[in-house]
Amino acid sequence: MKLLTHNLLSSHVRGVGPRGFPLRLQATEVRINPVEFNPDFVARMIPKVEWAALLEAADTLHLVEVPKGPIEGYEHDEKFLRQMHHVLLEVDVLEGTLQCPESGRLFPISRGIPNMLLSDEETET
Amino acid sequence: MSDVQEATNQLLDVNLDENWRSIQVTGSDPRSESEHLQVTVGATVPTGFEQTAADEVREKLGSSCKISKDRGKIYFDISVESLAQVHCLRSVDNLFVVVKQFKDYQFKETKEEVLKDFEELAGKLPWSDPLKVWKINTSFKKKKTKRKKMNQSSGKEKIDNGQGDKTDEKDDKKGFTNNTLDSHILDYYENPAIREEISTLVGDDLASCKDEKDESSKEETHPEVLKFRVTCNRAGEKHCFSSNEAARDFGGAVQDHFKWKADMTNFDVEVLLNIHDNEIVVGIALTEESLHRRNITHFGPTTLRSTLAYGMLRLCAPQPTDIIVDPMCGTGAIPIEGATEWSNCYHIAGDNNPLAVNRAANNISSLLTKSQIKEGKVSWGLPIDAVQWDICNLPLRTGSVDIIVTDMPFGKRMGSKKRNWNLYPACLQEMSRVCRPGTGRAALLTQDKKCFTKALSGMGHVWRKVHTVWVNIGGLHAAVYLLKRTPQAFVHPSEQDRERTPW
Repeated sequence: MKLLTHNLLSSHVRGVGPRGFPLRLQATEVRINPVEFNPDFVARMIPKVEWAALLEAADTLHLVEVPKGPIEGYEHDEKFLRQMHHVLLEVDVLEGTLQCPESGRLFPISRGIPNMLLSDEETET
Repeated sequence: MSDVQEATNQLLDVNLDENWRSIQVTGSDPRSESEHLQVTVGATVPTGFEQTAADEVREKLGSSCKISKDRGKIYFDISVESLAQVHCLRSVDNLFVVVKQFKDYQFKETKEEVLKDFEELAGKLPWSDPLKVWKINTSFKKKKTKRKKMNQSSGKEKIDNGQGDKTDEKDDKKGFTNNTLDSHILDYYENPAIREEISTLVGDDLASCKDEKDESSKEETHPEVLKFRVTCNRAGEKHCFSSNEAARDFGGAVQDHFKWKADMTNFDVEVLLNIHDNEIVVGIALTEESLHRRNITHFGPTTLRSTLAYGMLRLCAPQPTDIIVDPMCGTGAIPIEGATEWSNCYHIAGDNNPLAVNRAANNISSLLTKSQIKEGKVSWGLPIDAVQWDICNLPLRTGSVDIIVTDMPFGKRMGSKKRNWNLYPACLQEMSRVCRPGTGRAALLTQDKKCFTKALSGMGHVWRKVHTVWVNIGGLHAAVYLLKRTPQAFVHPSEQDRERTPW
């Protein structure tokens, strides 16, 4: 699971609504995958990123060199864009958990795939 | 004597040792002769997506297309230099070079006369240029094979590759060779994800093996007699003959003309005889296996053709950095096609079935391995991720997705019609929540058109139907609905009101 995906995921436990974001990340196995750098892609993605969530996730993974927020003129700042590229696309969580911040419900991540299924009881009215 | 015969005779005459001969064969003498050759190429595409394919041809080759009345076929002119790019078209299932096109063929009255005409036709057709193209195409494929062998893939423990049983090796002359891969890829059965695998098919470049021996022995036989087959497709009410009869008699005449050897399975040249009412097209195939399974090495019960996946994605006109989600991805055909062709977007493949998600993840891994070898890239990652989730309860932020493309359960091979009555409205509702208001769009494939239309009718405040493409999926008449998300923001139903009533 890449951090960009984590940035989009939200808990859908009954009754939680928007308070289900962001999911708290814990990782036991992480892999770094080189991904081709596309500065235009990263630059355009910046406005869509939820920064607080990204920083929180990066922090639990002990990532270094993570920009704290969009800086002035970031669109042309290659160093900034490369750092963001790395954080969003190159860090892959293989094993770990995602936790709903409101209900505490844990969702496992296994072989890089988060399992977000709720049980039947959890989805009933 | 045909040009091919002349060329092969020249090769036989060359005085040589083995190395020299192998250079000659891939050596492209034909290429330099025919540098400025213009030919008409025909392509088969998923029915209903002819226009999308024509758009891709215009975009990538600069050629305009004629769309045939024989559905699922388009024709365009190219110069031979563009042949390589033609193979990169992603909306195309199969390619052939046109030998001759008859817009309004006059069939005689009786079967005997018609078949006799076909026999006589064989000798009168302008074979020479198309055969040159075929030859270039074949040598081009051989070059690709040789280049692959030289690329070393740097091994990495986690490569999962759906090689398929080694016993399933097909003896075919595709571009990819697997020599360099073998030692670096996890034994298929060692991969725990695949232990649960139900069905696999050899269907793709990566899965079809071709070892060194086959390669050189094929080159040695190349100067000798070519092997061929004739494939006839016939459609129309007024024909007094069958496709088998036409293939047989036309094929017999082709054999007499060229002195080739007929071989239904292990052929060099595939001659196509396409008859649609009064339109006849004679062609020579440029692709051996349909391109459409190219990305999927792990099949599931209802895997979508890559060409269809491409067409659906293209309908949505993806923009850079669009977030593209397939919430019922199955084997991941759509997101994988997306990540390959629109790598400046971000793709998420999701499904509730663990087998499906695993298959999708494995297909993604196979894709990474393939793109490594193909482009010699160091890249290990692509902008694609997989999640296990429930379509009715997507764990995604509201309004965070730009494009949704999916193949909805038809209710025939997967799910059931009855289940669709509940599923479809729930899907459309949840999809409208995650889709970005105003700019978001969705391309949804389904055969259960009645249920879909009914489900959509209650959702005019969030979804607007923009276009419908009628397609044929394995004999079933299906439709791709292109929807636009209205600007209206999604209103969360109150917490108690979560129970989903169908209408």
